[in-house]
Amino acid sequence: MFNYYLRLAWISILRHWGLSLLMVCAIGLGIGAAMTTITVNYLMSANPIPEKSEQLYYVQLDSWDVNDPFDDGLNPPDQLTFTDSTNLMRANKAFRQNVQAQAFGVIEPANPEMLPLIVNGRANSADFFTMFNVPFIYGSGWSRTSDDSKEFVVVLSKETNEKLFGGEDSVGKSIKLEGNMFRVVGVIDNWQPKPRFYDITTGAFNDTEDIFVPFHLIVDEKISRSGNTNCWKPTGDGFQAFLASECIWTQFWVQLKTEQDKADYLQFLSAYVQEQKQFGRFQRPLDNRLSNVMQWLESQEVVADDAQMMMAMSFMFLLVCLLNTVGLLLAKFLGKAPEIGLRQALGASKRTLFSQYIIEAACIGILGGILGLILAYLGLQGIEILYGDSMKDLASLDSKMATLAVLLALFSTILAGLYPTWRACNIQPAQQLKSQ
Amino acid sequence: MLVMKNINKIFQTADIQTHALRDFCLQVNEGDFVSVTGPSGSGKTTFLNIAGLLETFTNGEYLLDGEEIGQLNDDGRSRMRNQKIGFIFQGFNLIPDLNLYDNVDVPLRYRGFNVKERKRRIEESLERVGLASRMKHLPSQLSGGQQQRVAIARALATSPRFLLADEPTGNLDSEMAQGVMTLLEEINQQGTTIIMVTHDAKLAQRAKRTIQVKDGRVSELEKVTPMMNQAIA
Repeated sequence: MFNYYLRLAWISILRHWGLSLLMVCAIGLGIGAAMTTITVNYLMSANPIPEKSEQLYYVQLDSWDVNDPFDDGLNPPDQLTFTDSTNLMRANKAFRQNVQAQAFGVIEPANPEMLPLIVNGRANSADFFTMFNVPFIYGSGWSRTSDDSKEFVVVLSKETNEKLFGGEDSVGKSIKLEGNMFRVVGVIDNWQPKPRFYDITTGAFNDTEDIFVPFHLIVDEKISRSGNTNCWKPTGDGFQAFLASECIWTQFWVQLKTEQDKADYLQFLSAYVQEQKQFGRFQRPLDNRLSNVMQWLESQEVVADDAQMMMAMSFMFLLVCLLNTVGLLLAKFLGKAPEIGLRQALGASKRTLFSQYIIEAACIGILGGILGLILAYLGLQGIEILYGDSMKDLASLDSKMATLAVLLALFSTILAGLYPTWRACNIQPAQQLKSQ
Repeated sequence: MLVMKNINKIFQTADIQTHALRDFCLQVNEGDFVSVTGPSGSGKTTFLNIAGLLETFTNGEYLLDGEEIGQLNDDGRSRMRNQKIGFIFQGFNLIPDLNLYDNVDVPLRYRGFNVKERKRRIEESLERVGLASRMKHLPSQLSGGQQQRVAIARALATSPRFLLADEPTGNLDSEMAQGVMTLLEEINQQGTTIIMVTHDAKLAQRAKRTIQVKDGRVSELEKVTPMMNQAIA
């Protein structure tokens, strides 16, 4: 009977195409608006590294001003001082650990005909690549030994490798960066975690960097530092004074495999802060935090409040569209009262009729879902145009979202169809047959 | 066999109670051709609707082929309608979106016949009413008489024990009405029990039995012999 009902639904949709089109448009508009905002929220709140997000922890220590707490005392500072990062690195208490900061530089291509390239970079520790499951097409990240021996090594993004070496395997070759020669040890494949969780202080949805270099190069002033810096007291003159200051500008991640490891590391952090208090630092109450990836994204409100508000409003709009659909379905089904009465006379039970008309509603829902997908695609394009590159990676529908759109449309329309279908099934056949 | 004992039907609105049927008693035997006459508002159609399980009754007893109708739920009543009863209406009641083949197919779908069986029955019943060549036509492409023939084909397709006809010739001119009536007589001769509501006294006389409904009661029962029927025809 299912195929028969589908055929009847199709005939009915074509026969009453005007009314059907109105319903498809109403559902399509509602689904389009809802899916546009759901997609943005979904991509904003997605787990960028699900396979190990529970093992990766962002470290926060409250080294801020005792009289003027960071973030009104709600959260400890979102970065660490250079002093703390290097001390934690040196202690080497975690399974893996990474100190990092944003950097930038200019590459002078070997080909004199090429213009110099200004590149966004990341200065980080060797563990960065294994901790964050960075994919490589050539070579790999550098080793801890390279960090310790302060080697001039670099990892290129696929795009940078394309520009400098035409996409060939460049491992072992050299590039001139900020006047120094760097040996290429690896080339990263396409890699764009969404959100870019490892450094949200410089934009959770920015592109990954063009190059990756060892963190010591910043310390040795071989590459320029960029990114956010916050200070609560004067730094003194010179770069070394800045490094020794209470300014926060580094991010510190650790990989801890078990809950016990986490507890041990927290204990270590407490001991470290207690120790630092003896030097007159960390005057505020103890507030060390280890946040796994999702906790970190949530605490930093990566999903913006206005995006959530937009989603709530789009759901209300969907509700209005569905209420309209209820009215239109009611008009359509009650307009079919004589046919319903006749079908009852010919042996259709209320249950049978309910199946027939709910399938018709579902068909309209699927068509509305398809239209909604198209509208959502256009909506996301609109968002990309409106907000520019920062929303580029968020304004895309994947297969999961497309499936969700159709299912949401189907579910919503079936829900909207329940009352009209119930009314239609309770039509008194005798009255309808006589009135024809 | 159709047996109604003391059937009452009361229509209730906020202010008014209307007794459509009062202690209505009737027995229709297998192979009967019963015409039901009576003035407007007498309860003829209510009787037919109750007989056809399209409407419930307030109280009384109704047995159709030995089954107590009052005990049946919606599924049971639908099954009975589909398996034992065929309907012919004054307004033909064909589904305008479906062609003749699909119109006749409707009750067969609910019966659960397979494709082959449905096709055989549809072709046979349309052949029987002389419209096999037009099975892909829409109802709107047929005359009133032809539409009523399709409705009869649809009613016959499930091989019902009872055929209930409500003013089957009411919308037809006299020539077409004669044709439909002749067809009903043929169907009755082949064993189908027919109950026909009509205002037309001449047509009523062509039935084997004529009953008159007045004020919700069977007020008159008149038997007509086959010879008399022939004479009227």
